[in-house]
Amino acid sequence: MTAADIPDDASIGRTRTGTVRLRPGSRAPGVLLIVALLLLWELSSRAGWIVSAYWPPVSHILAAAVAQLAGGEILVSLAATLRRAAIGYVAASVAGIALGIVLARNRALRCGLLPLIEIVRPMPTPAIIPPLILFLGVDDALKIFIVALASFFPIFTTTFVGVASIDDTLIQTARTFRISSTRMLYGVVLPATLPAIAAGLRTATSLCLVVAVLSEMIAGSSGVGYYLVEMQYAMRPDLMYAAVFYLALTGYALNRGFLALEARLIPWMGKT
Amino acid sequence: MRRAFVLFGLLMMGLVALPASRAPAADLEKLRVSIIPIGDVAPLFAAIQNGYFRELGLEIDTTPSAGGAAGIPGLIGGSFDIVYGNVVSALLAVQQGLDVKVIAAGTNLADPAMDATPILVRSDSGIKSGKDLEGKSIAVNTRNNVIWLYARAWVKATGGDPERVTFKEVPFPQMEDALRQQRVDAAFMVPPFSIVASQKGGLTKVGHPYSDVQPGVDVGQYIATGKLVAARPETIRKFVTGLRRGVEWYNANLASDELFKLISGYTRVDVALLKMAPLPALPLRSDMSQVKKTMDLMIENKLLPAPLDLQKIIDPLAL
Repeated sequence: MTAADIPDDASIGRTRTGTVRLRPGSRAPGVLLIVALLLLWELSSRAGWIVSAYWPPVSHILAAAVAQLAGGEILVSLAATLRRAAIGYVAASVAGIALGIVLARNRALRCGLLPLIEIVRPMPTPAIIPPLILFLGVDDALKIFIVALASFFPIFTTTFVGVASIDDTLIQTARTFRISSTRMLYGVVLPATLPAIAAGLRTATSLCLVVAVLSEMIAGSSGVGYYLVEMQYAMRPDLMYAAVFYLALTGYALNRGFLALEARLIPWMGKT
Repeated sequence: MRRAFVLFGLLMMGLVALPASRAPAADLEKLRVSIIPIGDVAPLFAAIQNGYFRELGLEIDTTPSAGGAAGIPGLIGGSFDIVYGNVVSALLAVQQGLDVKVIAAGTNLADPAMDATPILVRSDSGIKSGKDLEGKSIAVNTRNNVIWLYARAWVKATGGDPERVTFKEVPFPQMEDALRQQRVDAAFMVPPFSIVASQKGGLTKVGHPYSDVQPGVDVGQYIATGKLVAARPETIRKFVTGLRRGVEWYNANLASDELFKLISGYTRVDVALLKMAPLPALPLRSDMSQVKKTMDLMIENKLLPAPLDLQKIIDPLAL
């Protein structure tokens, strides 16, 4: 669990496990640490401890962040990145969940496909980008494919494991009632696996953004990834760090949004 | 299953991408050009801005690639029609059996006084030549590329053995930091980084590999696939004509604010920073004898096993 998983709002009352009660303000030490680190950054740059064009004072970065937002350019870049991340993510979710369920429940397919999936999984994405450029070009097809590929594995793996580890009593009980296989899927397997699927989906949420940015840094001409490299080569580290800041903010917001959605849609998450 | 997955991804993409695509101007022929956002491609942007291509019935769509890595793979994969690259990449591509041709000159360093691509060392290091760099390290942006090749050639030309020098890959923006932090002992840098680095003090230029090794070297080139040159010769001819008009405009406006503003527009570098570096005049035509010299260097440094037929690689249009 990361810090972001823990609800800090006192009105929530209790966490999903129902055991720990967090008081408001429990986050203060964490925030203080961040502030202290930023101050250290500011000081090290201003006092000349670190002399580099790529170590501007934090205050310059904040000023750049404000100007950047006012110019609207960062929003255009973020939108391009988010669009790619979202399409890849949706494709990966559909494929990951479907394959996860099918493979967990079908022995023949499992034997046929699992070795391929296990071989592809550990491949580092950046290493396969050059050959992918040959087949997919340098535009959206390439980037979305890379995002989808990277997001697929956590979703597939958690779904697969989730389905495989459903309490056998549940299945047996359902069988006693001789329900159809469709109903078995929608009424038993899916609800029981949803928490596992959600865990995979959430891992993929942060991953898809990272990979989308990475793919834009290697090829292409739009999105936050391209913007970061462009600003590096234009010797504007203040704008580069400001973009990183917005990226972090976006990732954080995505994670929070996901948690809120999860609490609403899967209230039985975290309970057995 | 994987294919269904790819198809699904493509379908999704199509759904989202459709409303975003614009209809191109009906009467203009479109060319997609991959560029590196540096001063070298200013003539191309000048030609676009001044409407030279439009007058010839061409619409140029530039795609910047900051590192330049996507260039030739993208060309072969069909993402681009033309790529701005360097002579070494082009010859390596041919060696690998790829069907590429040089269609126009990009840069050459005719005037050593205008060479802003030095090898920098720390002033207190005592390093003065390639001989002094033996057992030490030099930063290049990528191994086996044009920068690496001329760094090696410079080490040799100044009495050193390139085999005894370590070449470390460091991206251009990070070279100054790596040098000052003593992670490397020398760095082969390009503008604007070389300008900014040498202005701050503490670093010394010990040489200019391009002009020291091979004055007049053709570094940059516009490259297309042989297939495209054969299939649409008239289009390529128009491109070269428009580009040459851009070069003429560029050479006539070297010190003008308009040119600096143009470069700042696509590189995003501040005009004040750009003005620190002299802009070299750019060539109208490729120089076959210079490409031959580069090819010989590549053979010497084992980038190529044997000479290539340059007559086939350099299209007559470029000469």
